[in-house]
Amino acid sequence: MAMTKSRRRRITMIIRYAVLSVWALIAFFPIYWIVSTSFKIDTQWFAWPPFYFPNPPTFSNYMNVWFGAEEYTSTQYAISSQKPLISLWNSTVIATCSTFLAVLFGSIIAYGVSRYRVLSDLRMFQLLMLRMIPPIVIVAPLSLYYTAVGLIDTRTGLILVYFLTTLPYAVWMTKSFIDEVPREVEQAAEILGASRWRTVFEIVLPLIRSGLVATFLFILILTWSEYLLALIITKTNVATLPIELSKYQGSTEGRVYGRQAALAVGITIPLMIVGVIIRKHLARGFSFGMVRR
Amino acid sequence: MARIELVNLEKSFGAVKAVKDLTFTIEDGEFIVFVGPSGCGQTTTLRMIAGFEDPTSGEIRINGKVVNDLEPRDRGLGMVFQSHALFPHKNVAQNIEFGLRMKKVPAEERVRRVREVADMVRIGHLLDKMPSQCSGGESQRVALARTLVTNPSTFLLDEPLSSLDAKLRRELRAECDRLHQALKRTFIFVTHDQEEAMTLADRIVVMRNGEIVQVGSPMEIYSNPVNYFVADFFGSPSMNLVAGEIVQGTAGTRFRAPHFDIALPTRFGTAKPGAATLGIRPESVGVAIGAKGDIELPVRLVEPLGKDTLLYFDAGTERAFVAVTEGLSMAEIKVDERIPLTLDPLRIHLFESDGRRIDTGA
Ligand SMILES: Nc1ncnc2c1ncn2[C@@H]1O[C@H](COP(=O)(O)OP(=O)(O)OP(=O)(O)O)[C@@H](O)[C@H]1O
Ligand SMILES: [Mg+2]
Repeated sequence: MAMTKSRRRRITMIIRYAVLSVWALIAFFPIYWIVSTSFKIDTQWFAWPPFYFPNPPTFSNYMNVWFGAEEYTSTQYAISSQKPLISLWNSTVIATCSTFLAVLFGSIIAYGVSRYRVLSDLRMFQLLMLRMIPPIVIVAPLSLYYTAVGLIDTRTGLILVYFLTTLPYAVWMTKSFIDEVPREVEQAAEILGASRWRTVFEIVLPLIRSGLVATFLFILILTWSEYLLALIITKTNVATLPIELSKYQGSTEGRVYGRQAALAVGITIPLMIVGVIIRKHLARGFSFGMVRR
Repeated sequence: MARIELVNLEKSFGAVKAVKDLTFTIEDGEFIVFVGPSGCGQTTTLRMIAGFEDPTSGEIRINGKVVNDLEPRDRGLGMVFQSHALFPHKNVAQNIEFGLRMKKVPAEERVRRVREVADMVRIGHLLDKMPSQCSGGESQRVALARTLVTNPSTFLLDEPLSSLDAKLRRELRAECDRLHQALKRTFIFVTHDQEEAMTLADRIVVMRNGEIVQVGSPMEIYSNPVNYFVADFFGSPSMNLVAGEIVQGTAGTRFRAPHFDIALPTRFGTAKPGAATLGIRPESVGVAIGAKGDIELPVRLVEPLGKDTLLYFDAGTERAFVAVTEGLSMAEIKVDERIPLTLDPLRIHLFESDGRRIDTGA
């Protein structure tokens, strides 16, 4: 028996939603677990059967971790040389500065490649290959070098290394957006009397703005959560949030999951705020369809 | 005022010679149409004039001044791109206004002139729309208005009507013509469409493989094509072209084709014997029912168009041999009937096997 078209479409729809719902559940569960754990009292962190809801919910983990409200045992404090709020500040400065630099220089290079072919296809590919090098390989020489030039354990040092390691992404991503802007649109502006700079600022930049914002967030997430390089290069002075987070693993009293979860939630929230603020651009930036021909 | 001279202009892209040794002068106020098959170098020529492409060699002069090293914006030209190239993030009014802003025209005057130009090309009702909300014809007009408003000395138009439907094309063609009359500016217009070229141009420049094949008024090009290529390119229906051979004998000069054998006018008396192609336009072929024609061919198809009737004959060639007759009087002719035809001796062209027209000095 032939099914009607609309019926078949509805069934497809139901299956699609079912699959997506299951996938969403799997994807979101860890996030839910972290959030709920961050509100649990210590006896519920490991409890079996697990507590799906914090009962009673408590803010003590947050107060502890972020504001040091409660005295810690010496061992617990010993592992953390600085308060998370300072790390939050470090992370903010380092991630935004390096991301800003990467997107700024990345888009300048990308514009040159797209319009003037300043890099050949091969060079562009090599640039991307640079990213394929496992970071662990460069860590040792880099830390030696940084020690020699006095960049070790400084914000500048980390900003520099993040900027350079994310630059290939920035170039590739922004280039794909610039390529979308037809050359003739720029040339139309030129022949109407606009200078090169005017053309870039008034025609190209507005057209790739969503793309730049999407690139910015993408790289911000990378640098915000980067661990390995930060671990080697920063040691104590300018620990970033992921470093801070890892310190809870090493506690001699076992894993203080609730505290760690509270810290993790705090690390995630800034990114989510940024994401929400720029969501309009993200939808457009990631769908690449911003220029209609 | 703009008199544009192209002097030995050449452009190569690597091994590809897109434009070869182009020398040509465009007079002030002329409507020049570049026409030719795809890839013949028209866009490249236009882009060199505009300044988007550096010539490999040769000079471009505007009013006698060499402009090779001048930026596009300093050449005083306006260009309408084939893709329209509207600014997608600006509305129609802002698109049109752009050129004025770059020239630092005060705001009130900008508003006034945008209005004026928009009304001129009849898009006054579109000013608040975004380019993505405009139809092809509307975008076309916006692109035109955006260029018009800056009052350039010369308009460069690259296949501006190619993406439109037939009716809109005719409309905008008329508009281009009207603008040219009204503005008295130089127009350089690129197209593939011979009809567009014929109706718009003061002079047509026929290009092929990066070279100029012929320059002339539409009538010159139509009635005196310099070679087979030009003869075949212009006219609709196209010129009848029949391959055969020229024979010099006691009976004078004759042209022998698979399906007919005719005496050639005396001006071909010195033509070299051998393979050649005879060309004659459909309207120069007369249908001589009941009389003695120059040739006799069987009818294959009768196409009554109302004003005219087209008769398609079999002349042993791949393409049918066409005759145009006025009105519908011939519409009743039966297929396969053999019809006597006259060929206007003054309108017969002969082309050598390499395509060149056999010149009779006449
Ligand atoms: N940027 C370029 N790089 C390499 N070759 C090019 C470039 N631009 C044009 N060409 C080549 O030069 C020749 C002429 O190109 P052009 O665009 O001038 O042709 P056209 O006459 O405008 O064709 P069409 O009418 O199809 O647009 C073509 O063979 C084309 O492939
Ligand atoms: Mg072209």
